[in-house]
Amino acid sequence: MSSVLLLNLAWQISTLALVALGLAIVFGKLRIMNMAHGEFVMIGAYAPVITSMLGLPGWLQLPVCLATVGFVAFVLERTIIRHLYGRMFDSLLATWGIAILLREIVELVFGRGYQSVSPPLTGTFSVLGADYPAYRIAVIIGIVLGFIGLYLWNTRSKVATQIKAMVGNPELAEAIGIDTARLSAGAFVFGCCTAGVAGLILAPTVRIEPMMGLDYLIRSFFALVVGGLGSLEGLGIGAGIIAGTQTFLGAVASQTYGYLAVLTLSILFLWLKPNGVRSSSH
Amino acid sequence: MLKKTAPLLSSAALALALGTVSASADIMVGVLVPDSGPAGLFGPSTRNSAALAAEQINASGGINGEQIELVFADVGVPPAEAAQAALRLWKGEGVKAFVGMHDSAVREALIGRFNGQVPYVYTAVYEGKSCADGLYVTGETPSQQLEPVIPFLAEKEGVSKWYLIGHDYNWPRDTNALAKGYIADAGGEVVGEEYVPFTVSEFDSSLQRIKESGADAVLVTLVGGGSVGFNVSFAGFGLDDQAIRLGTLIEENTLAGIGADNANRLYSSSGYFASIETDMAASFAADYSKTFGSDAPALNGLGQSAYEGLMLLAALANKAGSLDVAAMDAAAEGTTWSTPRGENTLTGRHMAQTIYLADGSGGAFNVVASFDNVASSEACSN
Repeated sequence: MSSVLLLNLAWQISTLALVALGLAIVFGKLRIMNMAHGEFVMIGAYAPVITSMLGLPGWLQLPVCLATVGFVAFVLERTIIRHLYGRMFDSLLATWGIAILLREIVELVFGRGYQSVSPPLTGTFSVLGADYPAYRIAVIIGIVLGFIGLYLWNTRSKVATQIKAMVGNPELAEAIGIDTARLSAGAFVFGCCTAGVAGLILAPTVRIEPMMGLDYLIRSFFALVVGGLGSLEGLGIGAGIIAGTQTFLGAVASQTYGYLAVLTLSILFLWLKPNGVRSSSH
Repeated sequence: MLKKTAPLLSSAALALALGTVSASADIMVGVLVPDSGPAGLFGPSTRNSAALAAEQINASGGINGEQIELVFADVGVPPAEAAQAALRLWKGEGVKAFVGMHDSAVREALIGRFNGQVPYVYTAVYEGKSCADGLYVTGETPSQQLEPVIPFLAEKEGVSKWYLIGHDYNWPRDTNALAKGYIADAGGEVVGEEYVPFTVSEFDSSLQRIKESGADAVLVTLVGGGSVGFNVSFAGFGLDDQAIRLGTLIEENTLAGIGADNANRLYSSSGYFASIETDMAASFAADYSKTFGSDAPALNGLGQSAYEGLMLLAALANKAGSLDVAAMDAAAEGTTWSTPRGENTLTGRHMAQTIYLADGSGGAFNVVASFDNVASSEACSN
């Protein structure tokens, strides 16, 4: 296996895990089938477009991203999503409508055309004997560190325990004084913000246009179907299998076979192992 | 109740007003544009270009002395629906001729529906191989975009090892089939050929293959978002130092998505760029921004092609003396007319035109060469 293939695998798996993280939180913890997940990735990717339109310095990209995505997610949670917790099919229809609405709004503001964003790091970097884009290497390292931090937080923090209690038994959680409405809103906004950050990070490496979110929604769902809901390990395994299969077969055979294998795997898992490799207690 | 009646009455009045307007216009021309679907991006610039053409035609006396009026329909939908929309204009609204900018599947459906009974000008870049009674093509075909350009680039850039990559459908495959001949004639060789499904948005493994192939030129027949994603990653991996890129459908919008940082040594071959510097092209661009504002949808080869199509329709109908298909078919060969693209001639029902090669380095197209009167290898007999 060539070192470039290894690096491509690391890039694809880590970025897919980051993109799917928000969906895993919102779907796994709140039972909201968020069809607008990809649109939050898309809005995040527009953050650098916003800062350059307004002539703002580059370091404001992350604050602008979090502010726009967080605001949109908070408004949607308060007006629509909060009525749909636990109603999976209703949430699917409602968020599909929201997705269309968000695409149209972005199209009204920025137009239908493509946007482009410059990476903060340019050039290539020599690792393991291969020239690889420096920006991608920085992103891979950043995502790995981020997931380690999230894992530690998830095992130790009080909020994570409260979320577990809320998911396990909402009534009992409320009875012992956990504010489940606030916790759910927080989890939804946090999940959407991770999608937005994923969009911001991917922006210099992909096409940016109002319809871009669909790609990310589908791949994230595949990763969750295979990996199973409810745990970070499952998310990692799912992203690894989906992105790994596509990248590996794409390199040794062709992109067509890679995509075919991903579809086949997803169907097989839905059919034979609907809870994925690692499922939570549900 | 009253509240509901008022808008109904006013819309009835509007319909009456519109009715009188269309009755006073002598010739209705149907313009088929993609308002929705994957090519929806090109809807607005296509409509605008068509409107400018109608203004121009009417100002210079219309078609055979009669003024024209445009009626638009959305054909960014599945072929059967697009054909229905065209049929409504033709049979329902009395449209006498069509100009269409859309994909090949829609074109074939329309040819079947029109059955040679109404003149139809097809204006989009396409793979060739379409002939029918009453069909006239202004769009560039692969032979026009590549035959003069490949030897020119081989000479200018000193490239000989070509890698061909495109989406997996007939336009890229037909383009590459012809490209192989031109590459061989220019003394080059093909070091790789690859087709990717539309669903793929990551091109890492393809880029690795290009790198390992040692290619010094890449012919890109990916379309739309796929082309943007590919070209962004291409430069990210530093492949722009290794190879030049040549695209036959990289227009202004696609280049904007690729971005200035990623467009080093990226060439595009087309019959039109917004930056062509001839007098007619400059005055067309000036009219466009004067009419539609400076923030109007960017001019590009696909959108502008609707202007070409309407100008051909007028030139041909004036030459034939009518909008009758048999008369127009008989008069078609050798029709000449001038447009922002240059001097055009209809040969084999396709448009011989000037082909421009532009360099996108720096994020804006800079025309580096033009080839006059390039005829298509497509030839439909009369």
